[in-house]
Amino acid sequence: MKNNVFNILKKELREMFRDKKSLAMMLVIPIFIPLLVIGMSALFESQMNMPITDYNRIGFNYELNSVEESIIDDLEINPVYDTEENLKEQFEKGEIVLYVTKNNNVYTINGDDSDTTTYASSLVESYFQIYKDYLQTDYLANHNVDPSEVLNIITLEENIVTEDNFFASYVTNYAFFFIIMAITVSATYPATDATAGEKERGTLETLLTFPIKSKDIIIGKFLSVSLSSIITGVLSLVLAILSLKIANNMFKKKKKIDLMLSSSSLIFALIVILAYSFLISGLCIAIASKSKTFKEAQSALTPLTFISFFPGMIAFMIGITTTNVYACIPFLNYTLIFTDITSGNINFIHILLMLISTVIIIIVILKIIIKQYKSERVLFG
Amino acid sequence: MLKAENIKKKFTKITKKKEQIEFYANNGISIEAHDGEIIGILGPNGAGKTTLLRIIAGILEPTSGSVSFDNLNYQDNETEIKKNIAYLSGNTKIYNTLSCYELLHMCADIYGVKQEDAKTRIEKISQTLDMNSFLYNRIGSLSTGQTQRVNIARCLIHNPKYYILDEATSGLDIISSQIILNFIKGEKQKGKTILYSTHYMEEAENICDKVIMINKGIIIAEGTPAKIKKDTQTTNLRDAFFKLIEGDKNEE
Repeated sequence: MKNNVFNILKKELREMFRDKKSLAMMLVIPIFIPLLVIGMSALFESQMNMPITDYNRIGFNYELNSVEESIIDDLEINPVYDTEENLKEQFEKGEIVLYVTKNNNVYTINGDDSDTTTYASSLVESYFQIYKDYLQTDYLANHNVDPSEVLNIITLEENIVTEDNFFASYVTNYAFFFIIMAITVSATYPATDATAGEKERGTLETLLTFPIKSKDIIIGKFLSVSLSSIITGVLSLVLAILSLKIANNMFKKKKKIDLMLSSSSLIFALIVILAYSFLISGLCIAIASKSKTFKEAQSALTPLTFISFFPGMIAFMIGITTTNVYACIPFLNYTLIFTDITSGNINFIHILLMLISTVIIIIVILKIIIKQYKSERVLFG
Repeated sequence: MLKAENIKKKFTKITKKKEQIEFYANNGISIEAHDGEIIGILGPNGAGKTTLLRIIAGILEPTSGSVSFDNLNYQDNETEIKKNIAYLSGNTKIYNTLSCYELLHMCADIYGVKQEDAKTRIEKISQTLDMNSFLYNRIGSLSTGQTQRVNIARCLIHNPKYYILDEATSGLDIISSQIILNFIKGEKQKGKTILYSTHYMEEAENICDKVIMINKGIIIAEGTPAKIKKDTQTTNLRDAFFKLIEGDKNEE
């Protein structure tokens, strides 16, 4: 029996590795992971390190006094003085990033919601804060009051015990999410080819004349599709680690951001990838084997592709935390557990529940497919 | 001995109006084939030949009736029976991405041929069927005739006792057809049992010991070619078949 499973597996792998489309699905999709990780990191980097000259040209419709000039000089603000109408015109042309208008004692910051305006606003807010502090201190001093007694009645100190590395978890979670997507896409093509494709090409009839039990045929096919998914998953993980390492070097010196996972986290990530590869391969074979043609199987598998992404994506976006129940729900559990792994919260019970539920689902799926493969409707319908 | 008793196979057809129509592709067919016999299954397209041979080869299950090979049935001994069968049809497709050698080696492994014997058998079969020039080529690159020779080689690899050949010469050129006919004759001489379906009446007349004519899922004539010709008072099986069909049409 074992020998026939091996014979089918060998046959399927030969066919798979000689088919350009199967190879492309298996090996090309993971290449997008470094693009995603490095792209997201570069975007973040560019936003965090915007040069001040990009947003320090700020208009004023009033004359600044010597104190104000000194403050804006310290803040490296490049002032432009003009009337409100002219400043508005310059802002619309992009010559200044924002402009401040003064009517009586009311100051108005005029701008839009672009990134540069946001950065410029924070500069202007700093300028007003410093100037306000100066005026308050000066007023109190003129009235013989110690400013420190009034302005610093309470002392507030900030002590951040653990640094919330939002960006790091964002990038690593999306990298893993893309690994899940790559595995799904990688499983659909060989599963379709090994079932509906074999039926369409007419070789299934030949296979059924051999003295092989349908159980052996299904297990052989399941293992070959799983192997293809695992190759994609592992390749994706390796590329994700490499790209995270590259991205890490972009931030580590300046921002103290650490994108890298610990070696134990990587091992658990690999376990999640293996479990997901087996599950999605079984599901793809179960669905595709019911179809008569390759095209029909691809259409039938499209909803599965979406179903495999959505629960995890929604959980990730709305911040659902892993519970024992969620750890048993397919698709949702893989994303949740991986999110836990990236944030260093490895829960062995959740991982165990995820593995148990995956094994149960795979056994049920395989039993259904084996039953299907005895049905004439599936074979000749 | 191969024995098929009262084979019935019901299919359901769905019409354009979504109505389900049940019909019998085989309606009570019985066959007995002894060692060293070639049995010809003759009939027009749609007569039920392929369904019958698929049931005998264990690809389809009969609605009722039974099939046995040397008193073994499919319910209890499917793998054992299939080890002694070779099934080949004109539409049999094989794996285009594999080379002929790889396919034959895979078949040898599946049929449990010992590793040391497999290589020798492949070489011998390749010699016999004149496949040496393309043995290591991918099947997808071969001509129809060459592909059918690979198919025959696949059937020979495990030295089966029973051959089930469904329109095996259909669509082949005269040389490739002759190779298959010579192969059938050669295997008969070795004491093998061969079920051979065709709609080429002359071909059947030349090689078959016994002929079974089927039309609309039932046997309309059975016996040696000489007996059928005598019973229908005709000089060849083609005329005999038309005469039998004519009677059937008149009855309608």
